Amino acid sequence: MITRRDLLKVAGAAAAAGAAPSARVDGAEAPLSLPNLDRNGTEHPDVSSGVADVQQAGSREPLLALTADEHDLLTAIVGRLIPADAGGPGAVEAGAVTYIDRALAGPLSGSREAYRRGLAALERYARSSRGGSFRELAPTDQDSLLIDVETGAATGSGAGFDGSSAVFFALLRAHTWQGTFGDPYYGGNRNFVGWDLIGYPGVRLAVTPDDQRLGQLPPRLRRSAYDNDQFHRA
Amino acid sequence: MSRSLLVAVLVGVLGPSAWAQAPALTVTSPTLKAGATIPADYTADGRNVSPPLQWSGAPASTKEFAVICDDPDVPMPQPFVHWVIYKIPGTAKGLPENIPIDPATPMPAEIAGAVQGTSGFRRPLYRGPAPPPGKPHHYHFKVYAIDAVLDLRPGLTKAELLEAIQGHVVAEGELVAIYERKPPA
Repeated sequence: MITRRDLLKVAGAAAAAGAAPSARVDGAEAPLSLPNLDRNGTEHPDVSSGVADVQQAGSREPLLALTADEHDLLTAIVGRLIPADAGGPGAVEAGAVTYIDRALAGPLSGSREAYRRGLAALERYARSSRGGSFRELAPTDQDSLLIDVETGAATGSGAGFDGSSAVFFALLRAHTWQGTFGDPYYGGNRNFVGWDLIGYPGVRLAVTPDDQRLGQLPPRLRRSAYDNDQFHRA
Repeated sequence: MSRSLLVAVLVGVLGPSAWAQAPALTVTSPTLKAGATIPADYTADGRNVSPPLQWSGAPASTKEFAVICDDPDVPMPQPFVHWVIYKIPGTAKGLPENIPIDPATPMPAEIAGAVQGTSGFRRPLYRGPAPPPGKPHHYHFKVYAIDAVLDLRPGLTKAELLEAIQGHVVAEGELVAIYERKPPA
């Protein structure tokens, strides 16, 4: 049997090999907000998210692009895409959402509107199809919903996805992998949990004869590529 | 039209193979009604759990059952497959609602040993109706009674399953229900 986690281990290797953006993330953007929706997905004007939520978030790191509501929803989503389990921490513990937030305020700013609309549509779909906010659903229902988004089955639900819901899912998945398995410099892969998960030792500038011995795993360097002088931070 | 002429016409239209089909199973459901709209909980507009099914009329030689759900109304050459499940014990009288979507979750005791095949969504689980708006689609829940315990791996497609059970189907039946999505307002 292949589990989701096994699949992601394979995918993560590709992400670790260089999927992370190459530019530095800086500069804050105006926070975005999810619509305030009732059980039927009807939008109401008394939105309580935004700057105030960010300021009230307390222990949360300052958000650069996402609103507090978006951050929390995205945290719940990535927690199902790469869940923590007996095999170790998952995307939440890796800080994948921090990576995405920083990236949306910088090199991935072109995707910020897709996140705003996509997350709002996903939340509307959760309420119309499963009767509650995504964050409040049981994990099995969360997984079922994400499968519907992934396969495009949610597209014609009236939730308001732009085109196929599968397109938004692909964006989420790609960025979750990047945030879990990319270089920690970009805000994700906190404490190298992503690299530990897939057994990636980190960037090695030289491979010694000892490293090449059969049956011996290379030492885990636990260093960002930018800890080496050869790599320059853009 | 006389009975003999009617038989002759049907043989000409359907061919002799149609007369060799297996006896009919009666397929029903506590929640699905033949020809009626499928409740939202069994679709992508609801919880998208698998519906309960019941069957009767299986021959004594039945060792296992298999179930396929497909939709022939899609604009594709072949029906779109929503569900493939097989190795259902021959003692089973149906399928309970909400078959697990996680392969690691055990099947309900009454269908222990059952496995799911790969649907058109490329996943080994039930995914209900999610048709494009425009017209009602018909969803065929087909049940096959099989006279052998076949060594079938999990994850078979509909075509692979039908090929594997060929020559072992001793009865079959179906329940057809419909679902339609309305265009966005």
